[in-house]
Amino acid sequence: MMTMIGITLKGIFRDRVFQGIMVTACAFLLIPVIASLSMRQVTELSVTLSLSLISFILLLLSVFLGGTSLWKDIDRRYTFSVLGLPLSRQSYLLGRFCGTALFVMLSAAVLGAAAFAVVCYSSAIYPADRPIIWSTMALCILFDALKYILLIAVAFLLSTVSTSFFLPVFGTIAMFFAGGVAQQVHEYILSPASESISPVVRQIANGLYYLLPNFEAFDLKVNAIYGLPLPTGGLLLTLGYFFVYVTFLLSVSTAIFSRRELR
Amino acid sequence: MNAIEITDLCKQFTGKKRVRIDALKNINLQVETGEIFGFLGPNGAGKSTTIKIIMGLLRPSSGTARILGVHSGLAASRLRVGFLPENPAFFDYLSAEEYVGFVGSQFKMDDGLLKRRSEDVLKRLDLWDARRRPIRSYSKGMVQRVGLAQALVHDPDIYILDEPMSGLDPIGRALVKDIILELKNQGKCVFFSTHITDDVEKVCDRVGVIVRGALVALDRVENILKSGVEGYLVHLRLSEDVPAVFGGFEAVRRSGAISEFYVPCPAFNSFMGTVNTSGTEVVLVETRRRNLEDFFLSLVSVGRESG
Ligand SMILES: Nc1ncnc2c1ncn2[C@@H]1O[C@H](COP(=O)(O)OP(=O)(O)OP(=O)(O)O)[C@@H](O)[C@H]1O
Ligand SMILES: [Mg+2]
Repeated sequence: MMTMIGITLKGIFRDRVFQGIMVTACAFLLIPVIASLSMRQVTELSVTLSLSLISFILLLLSVFLGGTSLWKDIDRRYTFSVLGLPLSRQSYLLGRFCGTALFVMLSAAVLGAAAFAVVCYSSAIYPADRPIIWSTMALCILFDALKYILLIAVAFLLSTVSTSFFLPVFGTIAMFFAGGVAQQVHEYILSPASESISPVVRQIANGLYYLLPNFEAFDLKVNAIYGLPLPTGGLLLTLGYFFVYVTFLLSVSTAIFSRRELR
Repeated sequence: MNAIEITDLCKQFTGKKRVRIDALKNINLQVETGEIFGFLGPNGAGKSTTIKIIMGLLRPSSGTARILGVHSGLAASRLRVGFLPENPAFFDYLSAEEYVGFVGSQFKMDDGLLKRRSEDVLKRLDLWDARRRPIRSYSKGMVQRVGLAQALVHDPDIYILDEPMSGLDPIGRALVKDIILELKNQGKCVFFSTHITDDVEKVCDRVGVIVRGALVALDRVENILKSGVEGYLVHLRLSEDVPAVFGGFEAVRRSGAISEFYVPCPAFNSFMGTVNTSGTEVVLVETRRRNLEDFFLSLVSVGRESG
């Protein structure tokens, strides 16, 4: 499995798509500097822009790498040669997943470092009203990365049941948006404003809320931008949620993939 | 213990519009360790399907396949197997050297040994100069060679090769034949599929013929060749003035004092009796046999008629 992780990382680093995304990433990180033209709340704006940018790049990476890695192997018939080795389907899948997840972590670290540099620079020129809490910003990026690793697990699950890249890629994007609004919908359903909605729909919405991954819990942008204190208990809960959910998704994926026929 | 053991193997594919295709019909087959086994069959006969089931890539509809007694659904069954898929494809962003290294590490070879073996096989398969280039830039035959290299590098006991000679030039084909014969001398087991009877005739101990998903013949190559003797070509020294008829047979060829007669098996004894009593000199007797190709073609056409 370790070699499978290595091979996955090598593949990503030599991939054109990845190289393209990374080049745009470097160019984009100059934008916060340009944001200083706004003259007001420059530091807050740079933090916001950097964090959103990181989030966006990680989203692209996880949708494309997560959604296409299994599909590509099956489509290009690499699976015949690789699974003819004494490598179980489980190790293969987990190796692929861990490699991709590790890569997203690495990208988050690199992009995070770049964001720190940018924010440092802008706060030195235009001192911020509130001090920047660096640890909060780091945690914000970490939880963002975790969110996308969870999304990769979703993409892998969709890849194991699909024979094309259509479902994994677009399904993952759909899940991302659904998971992003699940919390809001849930709160709306619980609020008195939703009295008029039929109970059946409310039941379904409630069921979906527990089934869909809840991505909103991972979002610490507001805390990072305004330097608000972090809810420690909530974060630990999110962390637990992350591990349980990822384990669940990967177990289902390996169960399906182990039974899958490679034609 | 048998190297490969296939019991009552059936496989159905459900295609589009729910059409069922019987790809394999009750295949039973044992291949011993140290045996070179040729798996012969026309296009679409089910060779690759059988091999994919042995390698655990497809699940049988019923029946089992085992390698060295281990069920082929388990990764452990492939621990001592070198596998070459049909029209193989390998991670094309890696170079041949990296890929062979990856395979070696999957088989837990230690670094020194892997380095040596990797150099050996890459040189043997004429990939040494291209070893640092990504596989993406290789020609079809070169990819096939990578396939052979990665099947050989870890020195397994069992080789399962799906059309090992496909896509290779004549030199490559001869090389593969040599390699298989070498493996035979080392007491390894090779199971390979092909449609070329000549390859089987030259290297195999045993051959199985599959036609439309059914195993229609399974025998030692020498038995097939022996049973295939159809007649004899007898060269006699005859005076040039006498007519070229002898013992009721007309000469098929005449050059100077030598006449050649084709005598089918049943008539051979009486013909030789006539030769003896007339005191004619026998220059040469050649056996005329069907080769494996004729045998194969007759099986395939029988399969066609009955199907
Ligand atoms: N994925 C699949 N779905 C449906 N039918 C299939 C599938 N794979 C193989 N078949 C059918 O199974 C039969 C056997 O195919 P197989 O690939 O084993 O033939 P083969 O003997 O390897 O032929 P070739 O010499 O052309 O490689 C064929 O009739 C083929 O149409
Ligand atoms: Mg085939």
